[in-house]
Amino acid sequence: MASSAKNSGSANFERAEKRRDTDHESFLSHKRMRWLKVSVALCLIVIVSYFLVDVEPRHNGGTWYGYTLGTIGALLIVWLSLLGIRKRNMSPGRWSLKAWTSAHVYLGLALIVIGTMHTGFQLGWNVHTLAWALMMLVVISGIYGISAYATLPRSLSNNAREMTRGQMVEALAAIDRQLETAAQPLDRGEADAVIAALGQDVFKAGFLARLTGTYPRCATARAQNSFPAGSINKAEEKVSALLGRRKAQLGQIRRHMRYRALLEVWLFIHVPATIALIAALAAHIISVFYYW
Amino acid sequence: MTFLIRTIDFTASGREIVRDREVEQSSLTIGRASESDIHLPDLAVEQQHATLTSNDDGTILAEAVGTLGFTHDGKTTTSTSFDPAKGAELGFGGYRLAFSRDPDAPASITISKTAEHGEDVDDVKGFALGSALPSKRVMAWIGLGVILFAFLIVPIYTHLNRDPAEPDYDRTGHTMMDASWSTGALSLAHHGLEDNCEACHVKPFESVRDETCLTCHEAIGDHAEIDRQLTGRGPMSAGDEFQWKVAGMFGKEGPGSCTTCHTEHEGAGRMEPTAQQFCSECHDGMDERLTDTKLENAADFGDAHPQFKAIYHPQLGSEETARISLADKPQEQHGLKFPHDMHMDKSGGVARMARNIGAKQGYGNSLVCADCHTPTSDKEGFLPVNMEEDCESCHSLVYDRVGTTFRSLRHGDVDQMRADLRAMDRAPRRSAAPVGRKRPGEYARGGLYYQNFGRPARSYIAINRALASDGVCGECHIPTTNNGKADVVPVHLRDNYLLNGWFDHKEHEQEKCSTCHKAETSKTSEDLLLPGIAICRDCHLGQDAKEAEVPSSCAMCHSYHPKGATLPGEEKSPTKDTVALMSRKPE
Repeated sequence: MASSAKNSGSANFERAEKRRDTDHESFLSHKRMRWLKVSVALCLIVIVSYFLVDVEPRHNGGTWYGYTLGTIGALLIVWLSLLGIRKRNMSPGRWSLKAWTSAHVYLGLALIVIGTMHTGFQLGWNVHTLAWALMMLVVISGIYGISAYATLPRSLSNNAREMTRGQMVEALAAIDRQLETAAQPLDRGEADAVIAALGQDVFKAGFLARLTGTYPRCATARAQNSFPAGSINKAEEKVSALLGRRKAQLGQIRRHMRYRALLEVWLFIHVPATIALIAALAAHIISVFYYW
Repeated sequence: MTFLIRTIDFTASGREIVRDREVEQSSLTIGRASESDIHLPDLAVEQQHATLTSNDDGTILAEAVGTLGFTHDGKTTTSTSFDPAKGAELGFGGYRLAFSRDPDAPASITISKTAEHGEDVDDVKGFALGSALPSKRVMAWIGLGVILFAFLIVPIYTHLNRDPAEPDYDRTGHTMMDASWSTGALSLAHHGLEDNCEACHVKPFESVRDETCLTCHEAIGDHAEIDRQLTGRGPMSAGDEFQWKVAGMFGKEGPGSCTTCHTEHEGAGRMEPTAQQFCSECHDGMDERLTDTKLENAADFGDAHPQFKAIYHPQLGSEETARISLADKPQEQHGLKFPHDMHMDKSGGVARMARNIGAKQGYGNSLVCADCHTPTSDKEGFLPVNMEEDCESCHSLVYDRVGTTFRSLRHGDVDQMRADLRAMDRAPRRSAAPVGRKRPGEYARGGLYYQNFGRPARSYIAINRALASDGVCGECHIPTTNNGKADVVPVHLRDNYLLNGWFDHKEHEQEKCSTCHKAETSKTSEDLLLPGIAICRDCHLGQDAKEAEVPSSCAMCHSYHPKGATLPGEEKSPTKDTVALMSRKPE
């Protein structure tokens, strides 16, 4: 009795341990890279058969081999894009979201080979190449996304220095309140500079500013310039110091925004390009059979 | 050290109550305990939470007593120091302590209670890139819409609503945006159709039909009768059968249709030559299936192609032609005598003569091929050898001289020659040709001169001599008797010995003539100096031969479609090859 309890205990432990292991396993190395292996095998088959299969007059989408690859590629694209629906519905086990994501990544990479071999390297300015180009854009943005997810979160947390985003905003607000008080003795021109600095919303930053982290029209930096060191009184000195702190705080927030932007920008390409790809794919397939 | 502590409270009606007090201490305690110097009644604050110590240089050091920290300008910390003159804000729970110091005044601490403020999603959503871009969903819908509209709806709508017209090379199509559907440029021949897709793609979802091709290519005949083609092809392999089955499901016309061999949209330039396999499908082992065929099997130029068969004249003076394999060393009876070796000899009499008259005629030290054989303007072949231009500079037909003018016999007309020679003696004069040695005193003073009014016996002799085998005609022609009169055997020279293949001399310019044509050693013009297949195979092997200098598919020399409008079974017009020295250019 005792031993069976012990057995069941250890079995439970093993099960729990196994679950814990899978919980911490990256989707990239899921099941010892099962989908990487599947994908590499698929690519090898396609590449070898591309060179072994002798089709006339040359490889392109219009040979039996081309149609086969095209069918596989189109089905893959549809399935890969279904991750958008699947991810909203997490589930464990064989068809876990992690397995699905792993397959999504590796089969998506295999699509480069399948799609390109399908074209037979016949590219041009037409809807067919548009579909191919969108496919490549989606895959490449996905590759970027994975690399961003692998590297940027560390930079993001280094920059945050244990502050939450709310605290960053709050810190800026705290400095702003002090600036408001400290700027009371200032004359009109200087007060206007401070007002301009306070009035500039840190989050009102454009796409490029966020991506590059450069803000040439930063009102805080400008306001700082109207308090040149050396020729200023105490009140001005205080405002200048506060502006310096505001700028430092802005810097942190902007770096945070930059990392976030670098982290998120791929999705703004990946997702709309996927939908555009599905449209282009439909146009590609329908047009081929329409002008059969 | 003095701190000015200002507490701001709000009444229930929202009115501010400001209380100031001065504390003369160098350090202050902050906490929930009521004995603290700064008493903050908030459960989030410790009993003894932190101390403020004023340093000598005017800065203030704030330190947490316990492990629970506080915020300094929003950042959580347990120990910090700052200059109140430059301002600072410490946060303890729901309280904010704002520090300032005016010049020559004590550091002031303004205590205010803030509304409890958790981390709000609205405050931080600005961090996300999404706040600077249109939403992914909007972008996706726009992309979807634009692509479907431009590349699907517009072409399909305009194609369905066009007014159908016969395909026309010069017309521009009415379907809009369908250039985006083109998978590649059309070949050179179809270039004019580039902007007229519906010329070939007539009906939606219907593959390009043969009848559409034939609207322009109306003269294209069948390769052979269809039932013979089917017999010749034999049964399809399982793979081919499956492919055609699938193709049939998608509405392809089937094997033998134009598009089977001719694929378009493969890029500008010449149309891709049809691959060898399309020919070898039938011609490989065809004699087993098509037992009555005269054609030998062929599958690959390199290793499965019969020896060339030349069409030639086997009988002297006869129009009859026959085909014979070059392996059987055919001797052609075209009716001319022309030993190539003698003419091309570098040291014989011919070479000497070439040197003698070379300056005027452009000959070198000896005759070369180009002295007699003139290429056509496209350099593909050669013009017929022409007596007047190519032979007569040596083989002169001059028979008379009047003053400084020479009279020549007309070549190619025996009756005319006869008449010319007969008329020669009517006005006797010294023959242009030296007739024997001059004797001293023959025409000397006191000699006897007379006009010959007798029968023109000399002329007959000349005529007879001319047509004799050692006469001027017999030099090249074979004498015969026609209706009792001396004559020459009619000449039958062909300008094309290969019926079903072609050869372009232009493409072979880098080779010497003698590489293929063994003229220098040919003693008789009966030799058919065509090179056998072995010589071609020095460079040309089958389409897939890796070792070949020139991998050659069938289409390099053969055409699938019979030339011209003649269909198999129809009577062919006889080849014009009998008039040897007149124009032999095929019409």
